[in-house]
Amino acid sequence: MWKLLAVFLLLAMVPWLGSAYLLGTLTVACYFAVFAMSWDLLFGFANEVNFGPTFLIGAGAYTAGMLNWAGISIAGSLFGGVAAAEVCGLALAVPALRLTGPYFGLVTLASVLLLQQAVIIFAPFTGGEIGLTVRDVFSADPETNYWISLGVCVLTGVVLLLLSRSSVGLILQASSQDRLAAAALGFNVAKHKIAAFSISALFSGLAGAMLVFYMGAASIGTVIDISIGVQIIISAVLGGRRTIFGAALGTLALILAGEALRPVGEIRTFLVSGAALVAILFFPDGLVGQASRLWRTR
Amino acid sequence: MACRSFLGSFALVSLLLVGGGSPLRAADPQTIKIGVIAEESALPGTGISKGAQIAADEINAAGGIAGRKIELVIYDDHSQAADAVRAFQRLVNEDKAVGVIGSYISEVALALQPWAQRTKTPYISTGAASNEISRIIHGDYAHNRFTFQGWLTSSALADSVCDAIKGLLMQKYAIKSAVIFSEDAAWTTPLDAEYANCLAGLGIGVAGHIRFAEDTADYSPLFSQAEDKKADLLVVGLSHTGIQPIVQWAQQQVPLPMVGILSQSTNGTFWKDTNGATDGIVSGMGFSADGVALTPETQPFVKEYTRRFGAPPPYSAFPAHDSIHALARAIAKAGTADPDKLADALEQTDFVGTVGRIQYYSADEQFTHALKYGPGLVQNPFMQWQKAHQVAVWPRAATGAEAAFPAFIHLAPR
Amino acid sequence: MTALRILIDSLAIGSLYALGAVGFTLMFGVCGILNLAHGATMVVAAMTAWMVAGRLGLGGVASLPAGLAAGVITALATYRLVVRPIQQSRALPEAEKEIFILTATLLWGILLREAVAYLFSDSPVSTPALIPGIVRLGRIRLPIDKLLDSFICWGAIAALWLLVNRTKMGQTLLGAAANPRAMTLLGHDLARVYRLTWILYGLLTGLAGVLLAGILGAGSAQSGQLTASAFTIVVLGGLGNVYGSLIAAYAVGTLETTTAYLLSPQIRSIPALLLLVLILYFRPQGLLGRR
Repeated sequence: MWKLLAVFLLLAMVPWLGSAYLLGTLTVACYFAVFAMSWDLLFGFANEVNFGPTFLIGAGAYTAGMLNWAGISIAGSLFGGVAAAEVCGLALAVPALRLTGPYFGLVTLASVLLLQQAVIIFAPFTGGEIGLTVRDVFSADPETNYWISLGVCVLTGVVLLLLSRSSVGLILQASSQDRLAAAALGFNVAKHKIAAFSISALFSGLAGAMLVFYMGAASIGTVIDISIGVQIIISAVLGGRRTIFGAALGTLALILAGEALRPVGEIRTFLVSGAALVAILFFPDGLVGQASRLWRTR
Repeated sequence: MACRSFLGSFALVSLLLVGGGSPLRAADPQTIKIGVIAEESALPGTGISKGAQIAADEINAAGGIAGRKIELVIYDDHSQAADAVRAFQRLVNEDKAVGVIGSYISEVALALQPWAQRTKTPYISTGAASNEISRIIHGDYAHNRFTFQGWLTSSALADSVCDAIKGLLMQKYAIKSAVIFSEDAAWTTPLDAEYANCLAGLGIGVAGHIRFAEDTADYSPLFSQAEDKKADLLVVGLSHTGIQPIVQWAQQQVPLPMVGILSQSTNGTFWKDTNGATDGIVSGMGFSADGVALTPETQPFVKEYTRRFGAPPPYSAFPAHDSIHALARAIAKAGTADPDKLADALEQTDFVGTVGRIQYYSADEQFTHALKYGPGLVQNPFMQWQKAHQVAVWPRAATGAEAAFPAFIHLAPR
Repeated sequence: MTALRILIDSLAIGSLYALGAVGFTLMFGVCGILNLAHGATMVVAAMTAWMVAGRLGLGGVASLPAGLAAGVITALATYRLVVRPIQQSRALPEAEKEIFILTATLLWGILLREAVAYLFSDSPVSTPALIPGIVRLGRIRLPIDKLLDSFICWGAIAALWLLVNRTKMGQTLLGAAANPRAMTLLGHDLARVYRLTWILYGLLTGLAGVLLAGILGAGSAQSGQLTASAFTIVVLGGLGNVYGSLIAAYAVGTLETTTAYLLSPQIRSIPALLLLVLILYFRPQGLLGRR
């Protein structure tokens, strides 16, 4: 637990050490870390394929964006965004109870595609595929934005970590490995799954909405597109599944690696993806797992 | 096993270190840095960085700005808005760029707009046509004055298409009705609206309006519908799609010609990409077609680009080139690093670039900070693919090339 | 007239969807793998075919074998470099392997897509028509190539059916799909079976890529969409069931075409997506899948 504290202290020192550019990168990384951690709670544990984290993120982000466009304050828009994400989360939870594996994966994929189509078709309300620009933002100051995102990230991390180690996490794991046995033991699998969906939706939607008020704009390419979901999945798996902390670490590693390699040019994505693939093939426990192994054998 | 583990740990730690480090670059205080954000895997994207490079070299050859040379810092954003924002932050904070140009994608330009304001750095988009960019600037000028749309708006593009139809086709053929045929995208909404307006102004009836999803796999239903409406012409807006409808148009031998804005068709490689299906397509933004000479700067730029990079410049290279010159002139004029003065100087831009006389609309005009369109200002040349060449057909080139359509096209003569 | 047009167009696009999906479902049926680099494989095959035909000047006829070869090579590379190391890994518990294969093939697909974009730019290209020209059915003009593609699709699927149901090799494949452990006990070399399946997959997917590029064009930017489309059709039809994939492909093709004709081309993909969600709700195993 105290290694987490060490990392937190390091991150807290960044505003003094780093430039506005590093702060900006880390701000986005913090929000993406929330996405990845929420994904890990639900699917890292439940061993199911979920292509649709962006269904929840996009719902939260676009609802908040549209509300603000219409003149509602940031606080009100955030609340609306979270509410929308919750509704979507529950909508996803229903098929989740009946379907498993690739079938559920397909429903999550379809949900993202449907949301994307809805945004394009209702262009007068959503801005279409180029997105919308919001009136208000949290702040023009990079430090303020950083503290806000870091705060949300840490809060989410702590909550999800505690949850994952509580009965909810254990039951999710148990039901993913042997559904019948878990039910036979008297656990209400459905209730726990729905709870997990709600919590995942809460944080994903919140972080998605907050991202909009950092960036000043929301578009399909930033909060809905499947490629965002892919980034989230890869971050979580690279960092180490079922650790919550690993998802955050993986996100940080991928985003920072991408930025550090920027001078290389267009093959940057190729290199980062290649490194991630090698890492996954050789270190299935992820960054966290490898770090633990190093720590134990020292 | 231990070796593998060690190697692996080393790889992991390096990834983290590389990831965690923020490279510190000692900025050369002698050069003026200008940022360029481009999409290097896309043809129009490479046009931006290459066109900018030629402009920078021209400026440096002429002595730079007040004796200081320009240095371009070019970043790839992979056509993603979030990536472009980070590139912008890096350009301003790490590389100390005085101004940024880039991206032909409207979504990216819109995402960068707030950041131009927040960092008080002038940003000129190069090739994004959406009306939205200038609409936002006009709607809240005080909060958006650092963004410039270095390109024609969708409305201007539509007007230019109508001009071309009038001058090129209506003289020779009887055009009574047309079907508007566009991809369902944000930039085509005002385009189609203006098409409806200006076509009516020409006395051409709009027989139908087909907007299709960008992921359409099968265009046969759409072409069949257009034919059923007995129109003479397809007036087109395609940018994110291009090869799909055009290949199927040629394969199905649809008897209506396609005239309009078809961005992808202006790529020099498009004939090869479509195996000749693009024969007879008439598109605006054909700046590098044979015979186009909008200004004395146009042809020399095309020749230099072709010589240096082995291929003709895509349409985005022209605004990129002109935007660098506009920025350089503004920096020289302002004479100071004060961002507000720089923005003021940019607003007063007035010089002859490769696409025409470069001026930006003012805060009172509808399309604030977009390129001014009109006679004597920026024009939109139309080209037609004929026998593997892009031939300038409108405005009438010195060569006087005529429009020539494939055999399956039916156009009634006047 | 419209009804006839809808029928013909649905059949044509449905056949292309079917060919794209059949390899995907075969891979899942026999090896249990969802290859998320599917779309990228199609694009690599299409690009190779285009390059051979155009840049090397060898014409349309040579492009097809080149595309097929590229498909097979990519498929085998996917197997040897990405999938097999995970399958044989001792560090991973069995239950985890599926999600790792998914993530790894996803990353591999990204790598392929980036490589194609770097070498060719992301501009889509179309492969030359095998037989140019049109054929007239009353007032309807149908490109010969589209008709030919449908026949090729049916031919390929028929060949697959013959292979699976009438040859010894095919019986081995069916056996491995049903019960791999039993096959090992019976003395069959599973590794050989898997290799063979990947080669078949490469051929089918390569063919799909080349034909699709002829009608629609293919570029690196489409690799994700192609995978999603195949995935949708395969799961809708029932994973691992080739007949199910065929039915689903034609169902989706018909829905999309009918929507474009009768409703609006803007919303063409929505009814198919809604149908998908509905079917999965009432029949979670897909149309012909087994529980």
